[in-house]
Amino acid sequence: MSTFESSLVASRPLRLSGSQPFVQQPGVFIMIGERTNVAGSPKFARLIKEGKYEEAVSVARQQVDNGANVLDVCMDEGMIDGVAAMTRFLLLLASEPEITKVPVMIDSSKWEVIEAGLKCLQGKGIVNSISLKEGEERFCQHAATILKYGAAAVVMAFDEHGQAASYADKIRVCERAYRILVDRVGFPPEDIIFDPNVLTVATGMEEHNNYALDYINATRWIKQNLPHAKVSGGVSNISFSFRGNNTVREAIHSAFLYHAIAAGMDMGIVNAGMLEVYEEIRPELKILVEDVLLNRRPDATERLVDFGAGLKDAARGSDDKKVEEWRSGTVEERLAHALVKGIDAYIEADTEEARLKLGRPLAVIEGPLMAGMGVVGDLFGAGKMFLPQVVKSARVMKKAVAHLTPFMEAEKAAMAAAGEEVKPQGKIVLATVKGDVHDIGKNIVGVVLACNNYEVIDMGVMVPCEKILERARAEHADMIGLSGLITPSLDEMVHVASEMERQGFTMPLLVGGATTSRAHTAVKIAPHYHHPVVHVVDASRAVPITTSLLSEDGKAAFVARHEAEYEQLRQNYAAPRRTAISLASARARRTPIQWRAEDIPAPSFTGVRVLDDFPLALLREYIDWSPFFHAWSLKGTYPRILEHAEYGEQARQVFREGNALLDRIVIERLLTARGVYGLFPANAIGDDVELYADETRATVRERLHFLRQQSDREGQEPCRSLADFIAPCESHLPDHIGAFAVTTGLGLQELCDSFRAEHDDYNAIMAEALADRLAEAFAEYLHERVRGEWGYGATETLTPEERNQGKYRGIRPAPGYPACPDHTEKGAIWRLLDVTKNTGMKITESFAMWPGSSVSGIYFAHPESRYLSIGKIGRDQAADYAARKGISLAEAERWLGPNLDYNSAG
Amino acid sequence: MQSTQRHPLEAILDQRIAIIDGAMGTTIRTYGMKEADIRGERFKDSAKDLLNNGDLFNLTQPRLIGDIHRRFLEAGADIIETNTFGATSISQSEFFVDDPREHGGRKDPAFYQKIVGDSFLEGLAWEINEQSARLCREWADRVGNDTGRQRFVAGAIGPLTVSLSNSPDADDPGFRVVTFDQVKQAYTQQVRALLAGGVDTLLVETIFDSLNAKAALVAIREVFDEQKKEVPVMISAAVGRGGETMISAQTVEAFWIAVRHVKPLSIGLNCSLGPDLMYPFLQELAEKADVAISAYPNAGLPNPLSETGFDFGPQDMARHLSAFAEAGLINIAGGCCGNTSEHIAAIAKALEGKAPRQYRAAQEAGR
Repeated sequence: MSTFESSLVASRPLRLSGSQPFVQQPGVFIMIGERTNVAGSPKFARLIKEGKYEEAVSVARQQVDNGANVLDVCMDEGMIDGVAAMTRFLLLLASEPEITKVPVMIDSSKWEVIEAGLKCLQGKGIVNSISLKEGEERFCQHAATILKYGAAAVVMAFDEHGQAASYADKIRVCERAYRILVDRVGFPPEDIIFDPNVLTVATGMEEHNNYALDYINATRWIKQNLPHAKVSGGVSNISFSFRGNNTVREAIHSAFLYHAIAAGMDMGIVNAGMLEVYEEIRPELKILVEDVLLNRRPDATERLVDFGAGLKDAARGSDDKKVEEWRSGTVEERLAHALVKGIDAYIEADTEEARLKLGRPLAVIEGPLMAGMGVVGDLFGAGKMFLPQVVKSARVMKKAVAHLTPFMEAEKAAMAAAGEEVKPQGKIVLATVKGDVHDIGKNIVGVVLACNNYEVIDMGVMVPCEKILERARAEHADMIGLSGLITPSLDEMVHVASEMERQGFTMPLLVGGATTSRAHTAVKIAPHYHHPVVHVVDASRAVPITTSLLSEDGKAAFVARHEAEYEQLRQNYAAPRRTAISLASARARRTPIQWRAEDIPAPSFTGVRVLDDFPLALLREYIDWSPFFHAWSLKGTYPRILEHAEYGEQARQVFREGNALLDRIVIERLLTARGVYGLFPANAIGDDVELYADETRATVRERLHFLRQQSDREGQEPCRSLADFIAPCESHLPDHIGAFAVTTGLGLQELCDSFRAEHDDYNAIMAEALADRLAEAFAEYLHERVRGEWGYGATETLTPEERNQGKYRGIRPAPGYPACPDHTEKGAIWRLLDVTKNTGMKITESFAMWPGSSVSGIYFAHPESRYLSIGKIGRDQAADYAARKGISLAEAERWLGPNLDYNSAG
Repeated sequence: MQSTQRHPLEAILDQRIAIIDGAMGTTIRTYGMKEADIRGERFKDSAKDLLNNGDLFNLTQPRLIGDIHRRFLEAGADIIETNTFGATSISQSEFFVDDPREHGGRKDPAFYQKIVGDSFLEGLAWEINEQSARLCREWADRVGNDTGRQRFVAGAIGPLTVSLSNSPDADDPGFRVVTFDQVKQAYTQQVRALLAGGVDTLLVETIFDSLNAKAALVAIREVFDEQKKEVPVMISAAVGRGGETMISAQTVEAFWIAVRHVKPLSIGLNCSLGPDLMYPFLQELAEKADVAISAYPNAGLPNPLSETGFDFGPQDMARHLSAFAEAGLINIAGGCCGNTSEHIAAIAKALEGKAPRQYRAAQEAGR
């Protein structure tokens, strides 16, 4: 309420919006950039004239990145079709989530351009400008139209007689315009922004000497006499007579603004690069400049001109001379340099130059581009380049290919029309299989293949078998690549292989992803398909394998060698192995725990709690960075990896760039963190844990099922199960168990898509890697919080390193990991915490979590609880487990596949 | 410019929380209508499936639609919405015009230029709007007279099947299938027809794309100017879990700033979220806006196992909307998808005697 009361006396702020609100803050000057103004920026004008809208959009992005409050867009230039250019540019900006946050100032002297611009803004922008120049009728019409679309308006101090130059004219014209707008049109006074004309001083003409002062005084009068109206101006005009002398101009601009803002100027079109800090103007210059602006002495102009001439001799701008040396090489050398260094600034121009030089687009790809990528490949193979650099090179390559594609299409069409055969390039269909959402590795493989000139058709995640095969058939693909991270995906891959066999496919099948292995591929997948099934261990192997498989000469030898290798793996697997001990003996060797009441703390609450839109900034301190480097195939431990002898520099770079993106993610809230957790009364019954509805422990709310280590352990090592860490029923101790699910992947898809739309796979992969880290950090944070709420962790004193190493009491194992390998137990967590409703996270039919960057698990608090690996289990335990869960043995075997120490019937 | 006379609905909003009706689409579904029912005689030879074109029921099953309006009014709705969510030439074209994409073509401004000028589609859209408005008028007046409480008809203006903010072409983010002027033309005709049918207010609702909404608001302004007559305008956006309009991703405050010049009777949120998830965004809107606030959320999230297809029953909705009222957030309340007349009855009962949000002081100060 108080804000409204005070607004009765205070000026109402200017409120604007793009996709986000912008509300003027008292005492804060609004800077409007002029780089997207064809009149203010020759570079922007050139880009628009040449139709390079993509680059023009990046000019806008830079301005927003540099903190522009409002984007001034002007297309007034003789050679530009203003309506078309304004419309196209604003629609392009609307598709850029980063840019469209900010309100737009539609800057034109042509009314039709203004109206075209208004039709593109979903938010509330500013029209710059209208005036009484063409009389009251037109002025009213224009104002009413602006009001109809909902925008603020800059009103120039102009009337039927022309520009108001003197103080008296300025205030007379502004007052008249104000009364018409407020009284006749109903225009909100706070949306009226007067521009009382910033005119050039120090021209040598005496009548111009008071121009700065006239503006400043008119500003003061407007602010005092026309309630809520705002004042703006184009600042660079004031110093036009000093063109070429930036030191003087910058000083004039800041001194002028200093005085105008004090008089009430709210906003201005300012080139932030042409602005000195007022306090840092050298004192003698400041006096001379203020003499001119405030018209303090008749010889002020002469004195400043003399001073300026002296400054000019002391030349500046040595930066400009430092032209990047590599730019002077031949076009082939420049392309190779750009690819190896991952520089995309000139790639389109260079590619075009090469195309003109070599005559055909394909000659550019097969010539300098492949040569450049060959260097990249060699350096990568030799360990002299690292994955992040390769991905950057690939980005440059993609941009070059994107530039050439239309030419190649045209060429192909011409060849086809002439009846010639079009030689196809290698084509591979990539997909993450049904039920699985992980694709970071697949994306890297896709990029590496694409930059080796394979046509990659990436079908994304959770793709059903039939869709993959249909697409491969339709596209006449040369190969299919399947990816999967979670264990159930292995079965789906087997399914795809058998379907390929059944449907008579002959193309090779590639298999990759975290849970896949050479052995599994050889033993479980390859036997289902009588054509090559090859495991790709990481992205660096993707190219050699595909190249061999597609090479006419080398394929037979590769396949023969590969077959022999896989046959050997199958024989090794079939050899007899150490068998499991019986389930009964394993149970007899459970973890020995002395159950005492003092080890069973009572939590401060039971039930479910939700964390919505959790601040990412807080999670940042919980990030364990080492796995981030693993995602980039840089193995080592943070922070030591930054000083790694071989790839420390790479690690530092990827760390720096990762943090830069993370800054953006945090500040712009590009990802949303949500979580849910709960603590529940619980006791163990054998290898199960029963969760109760309340402390009376009368009603069972949910039952968690655990497995027990069963292979013959060394010495006295027990055969552990997670169930051992919860007080058994017969102990009569009121124990508790917890569960949680957190995600930081909401928004990730959009973020990655926006990067990929710009062929920026590097940042897309970076975003995925960061989101994964944030999710783990969220789990770490939440665990700490829960230990506090559970009581036993309240007095913890751990360094972040110790915390990340898990040196606290209690554990949080996740279903699908070695301690409880059955993914379907996530179903229990989802029911317990109502995860989908509370967070939007889902589980797929394979019990993968969506979105990808998510973590869920179970909390154990007992001091003896520890992580463990179940390893292989026998048929007796599989049968017992199936009975406990109420599912068939076959189904249990399906989910426990990798843990069975026997070959199941399926 | 704005008429100074107080609209009777505005007077009600000062005294109590007004009730707006529930969902038309999901309620129609509970009647088990079949393709043949929506076609009737008139559309029996239409080439495409029409069952999801719920607005057409106004013409082929007016008694069914009248029955739904009656049930909502008897449940206590002060305001009922016309069944005209898709009653524009553009939205109707989805059901009556061959999709050029099926023949290797594309939808673009040239395609929609033909659509907005198509006399069959224009005529059909006009008829649906006018007919639906009359049907609502009839029932609102009948139940109003019977109960001695005035009821109001809001002309529902939906979001369209096209977006002015999004490019469907991955290679050209500057492409739009349709132009602002084409969208405005389609809306202009809808507004004229709704006014001809006698609606009390115009409700631009379920706004996914603020630029589409802007075209509707410009159309409304132009029709008001042309007819020298105004009715109150109500505005309601559909925001996702992040609190941004579903397609154009505008935050609620940015949206409010962009439409405030219309001086609407109310601004609010509907559809897309259940009341639980809507709460923080409604709270933000209530903090910023100096007009009446409306909220008619979905009955929670879709749940294929529930009878209405949504999670929340009547009592759940009543409880949530009571919480809105107790926090002083709302002046108009009801339900969107998944809300039947039982839901509305429960909401009306729960909000009886609850104080409406106070916004007059803010309004006086701000204008």
